[in-house]
Formats: sequence, C-alpha cells, structure tokens
Amino acid sequence: MTEGLTGGRPQASPGGDLAALIGRVARGDEAAFAALYDRTSGAVFGLVRRVVRDPAQSEEVTQEVLLEIWRTASRFDPHRGSATTWLMTLAHRRAVDRVRSAKAAADREVRATAANPDYDVVAEEVEARLDAQRVRRCLDSLTELQRESVTLAYYGGYTHREVAGLLGVALGTVKTRMRDGLIRLRDCLGEQP
Amino acid sequence: MRFRRSDPHTLAGAYALDALTPADRAAFERHLGACEDCRHEAASLRAAAARLGQAATAPPPSWLRQQVLAKAAQTRQLPPPAGLRDSLAPAADGPGGAPAGRPGLSRRGLAWPAAPRLAVAMAGTCLLIALGFGGLVLHAQHRLTLEQAHSAEIAAVMSAPDATMMTARAAAGGRATVVMSHADHAMVLTTARLPALPAGKRYEVWLMGPGGVRPAGMLPPAHRGMTAPVVVSGLAATNMVGVTVESAAGARHPTTAPVLMLHLPS
Repeated sequence: MTEGLTGGRPQASPGGDLAALIGRVARGDEAAFAALYDRTSGAVFGLVRRVVRDPAQSEEVTQEVLLEIWRTASRFDPHRGSATTWLMTLAHRRAVDRVRSAKAAADREVRATAANPDYDVVAEEVEARLDAQRVRRCLDSLTELQRESVTLAYYGGYTHREVAGLLGVALGTVKTRMRDGLIRLRDCLGEQP
Repeated sequence: MRFRRSDPHTLAGAYALDALTPADRAAFERHLGACEDCRHEAASLRAAAARLGQAATAPPPSWLRQQVLAKAAQTRQLPPPAGLRDSLAPAADGPGGAPAGRPGLSRRGLAWPAAPRLAVAMAGTCLLIALGFGGLVLHAQHRLTLEQAHSAEIAAVMSAPDATMMTARAAAGGRATVVMSHADHAMVLTTARLPALPAGKRYEVWLMGPGGVRPAGMLPPAHRGMTAPVVVSGLAATNMVGVTVESAAGARHPTTAPVLMLHLPS
C-alpha cells in the first residue's frame, strides 16, 4: 500500500510517515504543512480536476481541500485509517459536493449524455506510474457493470440513482455492483483501512 | 427510494464512493453506529476508493502553492478533541431569541448580524454544545469513533470562516438552531424542547429551494429534550429548512404542516 502520495514535486524519500506530518500540521507547524502540500497536492488536485473538470473550479476546490486539511488536521485519527485515505476522502467529498451544487448543474447535463463511459477517460489521464497501473489492472478485473458503476460514481460524482439512470439498470443492481466492485478492487489491491 | 432498514449492507459501496444523497448518507451513518462489521467494511472500501483517487494524480499550477500556504497562515485550526465528553453539560439555553408576537409558525429565523465570522467566544460555546450533545448519545465504547467523526464534521462547519447561526422557535414549543457554511455547503441543526411525539412518529427535516422540497433526514430521538446535532451537507440552492412530523420511517414529501421553518441567508 502506498503511504505517502506523490505529485507536485519530486520526492527524495518516497515513504515517510504522512500521519506524523499531519500530526505536526495539527499543532500549527506551517513548515510541516508546506511539506504536506508538496507531498499531497498532486493527488488532491488530480482527483479534484478529474471530478470537477472546470479548471478554475478545480483550483478553488483544491485550495478548499488543502485548507480543510490544515483546519481539521487535529481530527485525523491514525487508528481509524491511513492518512492517504483520510486525505483522499476529504478531497473526493469536496469535489463531489461541488459538482452537485447548482453551479455545475448545467455542465453535468451535457456530460451525462457523453458516449464514453468514465473508465476510458481514466485510461487516458492516469499517469504511467506503478500504482496507477496496478489500479487500472485491478479495475480490469471487475465486470463491466461493476467497473462502470464504480467509475461513474467515483470519477463522475454521480449518485447511485443517477448511475442507475445512466446505465439503465435497477437501483438495487447498481448498489450491489458498487459494493461488489469495490470489494473486488480492494482485494485485488490488497487494501486495508 | 428510501434507505431500507432491512438491507443496510448493500449501501456500503455507494457510501464509500460518496454516491449517496445526504439523507441516505445520514441514514447509513446511523446504521454504521450500530454495526461494527459494517464500519470495518466501510473503512476498507473507502481505502479502496482512495486508491482510485490517487490514480488520477496530476500536478497543480505552480502559483497555487504560495496562495494556499498564505491562506493557511490566516486560518484557524480546530483544537484536538479533548476529553470534554464526560464533563460537559449542554448549555440550558442557546443564544438569541425568536421574534415575538407572531401567531402560528415561526416563518422567519432570527439571523445574526451579518458578521463575516462568528465571534470566537460564540464559536467556542457552540462547539462545547456540540461536544456536549455528542456526550449525551455516547452509550457504549464502540460508538465512540463514530461520534468523533460526527463531531469532526460538526466542528468543521462551525469553524468555517463564513459560518452563520440562526435560531427559530416552534409555535407549539421548542426551538431549532442552525449553523451553516455556504463554503462547506453544509449546516448543523440542533433542536431543543420540541414536543414529544407519539410512538411511530418522528420529526423529519426538509430543505426547500427553487428546485422544490427534498428530505434531509430524520431528527434523532431527543435526550433530555435535545436532539444531537445533525449535519446536512450538499446544500445547493436551498433557502429554507423545515421540520415536520412524519411516520418514523420518514416520508418522501411532507405530509403535515411544518412545525418550524428557518430562512437561510443567501
């Protein structure tokens, strides 16, 4: 499992304790926050941009996420999950909140009719890094319906009802595919909380 | 489709993908509070979803760094969660009062003066109230971590730079207090001394705006007359919050007249 996100600046020490860095940020250590920015801003921005799409809004939401990390660093509990999961969860929730707000509503109507399922776009935009390749390979091991349910929800920011509508399947089916697909992805990636 | 109590586990995937509406998410999080296996599964699925997130990594524009660091230097941080739960008694009365004299429903919440931030002392008081409520519903040890997460969400809204508080009184007695942050698209709702309901009935929260009325979740059962803070997120184009009495399973549309309503500032 990759503990420690990359992107933004080249890293001399790939691993290192991201959780410890967040602990220092929680105590107001601005140098630690700068280091955290360098380690994680690429992962945050990349995900936000993938979901939000609009460049200006992506930059805004990225800033919101990083400031939320600064503001709530003391609430990170390493016993409940990894620092990476905590950060990515914050980023994803904010990105999804933005796309579901009124501002982005018009864009989403256009995107919803696009022919390509989101998975194809993932294949284009993902960096050729070992971890990204592993994710892509594990996504390949899902059934098509599982993969589309998961990627439409995660990268597209759609609710499970919207995914059911987009795929033309029953809501119960989508719920099951999302869960089964994530379970399979989790096991393929060897992921622990 | 409402969240079905008979089938809670199937929502775990959608939950981990942030694909639930606020009402479904709130219902599922309540279920998580009572099911340790579900919490464990949800955490592992979230970790898998986080790997999907990392796969999209891309460098941000270089100017963003200085802007974010400068803004952080001006931004207050939440203090660490101290051991306040056991020692706190919730404040007997929230700040402010309701507009006097109008019969029937309170249709206009009392908006605080349009200050850009809550006063530090006021924010501190509200945070204590929130943590106090967290203490009220803390029964068994296994619920502690869910309450911590819940308190973190509450605290995040209350400490947002644009947090605004409103209260409203219900004609039949009791009041609601809302703290909302436009930037966070979220609000925290608490109530005090709403009339007790007969068995099979619960209070339901609604968000109303130009797009219509949508359900935002059920108020939890009251302890000592107060309901634990409820976080409603994903607010968009909402300008009123209402509370009605519905059957305990909740309704898709209000079936009774609101017992109270709050106007949210735009």
